[in-house]
Amino acid sequence: MNFRRSDRPGDRAESERLLDATGAGATPAGAADPLAQLLSAAAAPPRPGELAGEQAALAAFRAARASGAVAPVAPPGRRRGLTTGVVAWIAGIAATATAGAAFAAVTLDRPAEPERPPRPSAPAPTTPDRSTPSSGGSTSGGSTSGAPSGAPSGTPGAVPSATTTAGGPAGGGKPDKPSKNGKLSGKCRAYLAKSPRNREKALRTPGFADLVAAAGGAERVEAYCRELLTEPAPAASSDPQAAPSSPAPTPDAKPSKKKK
Amino acid sequence: MTGELTEAVAAAQAGDEEAFRFLYRSLQPGLLRYLTALVGADAEDVASETWLQVSRDLPSFTGGEFRAWTVTIARNRAMDHLRRQRRRPSLPVPVQALSELAGDADTEERAGETIGTEAALALIATLPPREAEAVLLRAVIGLDAETAGRVLGRRPGAVRTAAHRGLRRLAGLLERRDISPASDGEPRPAPPRPRGGRQGSSGPRTEPADG
Repeated sequence: MNFRRSDRPGDRAESERLLDATGAGATPAGAADPLAQLLSAAAAPPRPGELAGEQAALAAFRAARASGAVAPVAPPGRRRGLTTGVVAWIAGIAATATAGAAFAAVTLDRPAEPERPPRPSAPAPTTPDRSTPSSGGSTSGGSTSGAPSGAPSGTPGAVPSATTTAGGPAGGGKPDKPSKNGKLSGKCRAYLAKSPRNREKALRTPGFADLVAAAGGAERVEAYCRELLTEPAPAASSDPQAAPSSPAPTPDAKPSKKKK
Repeated sequence: MTGELTEAVAAAQAGDEEAFRFLYRSLQPGLLRYLTALVGADAEDVASETWLQVSRDLPSFTGGEFRAWTVTIARNRAMDHLRRQRRRPSLPVPVQALSELAGDADTEERAGETIGTEAALALIATLPPREAEAVLLRAVIGLDAETAGRVLGRRPGAVRTAAHRGLRRLAGLLERRDISPASDGEPRPAPPRPRGGRQGSSGPRTEPADG
């Protein structure tokens, strides 16, 4: 009824439609397209010979029922259990690794501020006295905890992924007006944490411009910073000014560990 | 269909023999056709093994596509079988045989159809295994591309591509077959040589697709 045009499916979508129709038994038996005919022939209703094994299958079913409600654990089931175990393991390892990294970040941060209270989570409530520099901090979860090194170290317990926030809050770091000094000391820490080669580069970035300006020149930044950081910092509770500093060190968010 | 199957599976899991019979009748023809493409004449045996395992493991079936679950078992049994046999899954079907099949009793009893089930399956079995499997799982078993992909351990896109290629190849084969005279069941003159040669070269490199 048709001329010998090539009926081949032109694209994947057309093939899909044809296969879907056949799979659903929707192909009309008298379709003109030879390919559709072939598929529907392949998917034709059962022929008697094809069900010859029915009794054997039923016997197997009965035997399986009889031989055990204590059905042997099926291979698929076992495999599934294994998979679950593996997933659990990976999750556990991931959690441990992340927590470990967070811990490492804490440990690395701490020596920078030996004079600060070791558990900075505590200072958080004490800062409010005159602060609300934390208003700026609210943008970045880390900085709310007040103490300079507290921001990074206060969070990791709660958020294992806090390692990233050690540098992260810096990125969000809207400069807090009341803590110019603190901000600079934060930048200093970030600066000093860099390798000498990177230091030069960092000072050319806008994020460090004010540090350079405050130091009075790029070549004096290091000295300036050492001085700034070694001058005895008042306790966090009494001087919230220094408080939000550390979260804001690197607006360009370069380093993830900021000290040393 | 799927809803019925799901109910039947639950009933069979509870021990309902009639439900199991329903499952068998629903799935066996497609399984057998699929297995024939994989293991040729041993399909019956592999199908029996499949139902044995289905019976045994039915309690552990936790839901999902029962057809896919069963086909996966069947496929694994077929691969085991092939490994045991260490031989090619299906014999290349010479194009003459196909043409004759198309004209045999199967066709006659379905007057008006140009191709019978047997011949159609034989033709599909000449496809490269990936394509043959994709076409059979989609068209004969009735799985969608995603489910077929799970059975085959391949991405749905790969299944779609393989199926499409298979269909194109089939269309080409049909066209060639069409050109020759007489698909009416008459004894035919020997087919021209070149076609046989071409068929041979593009013919089945049948091997378990999953290696």
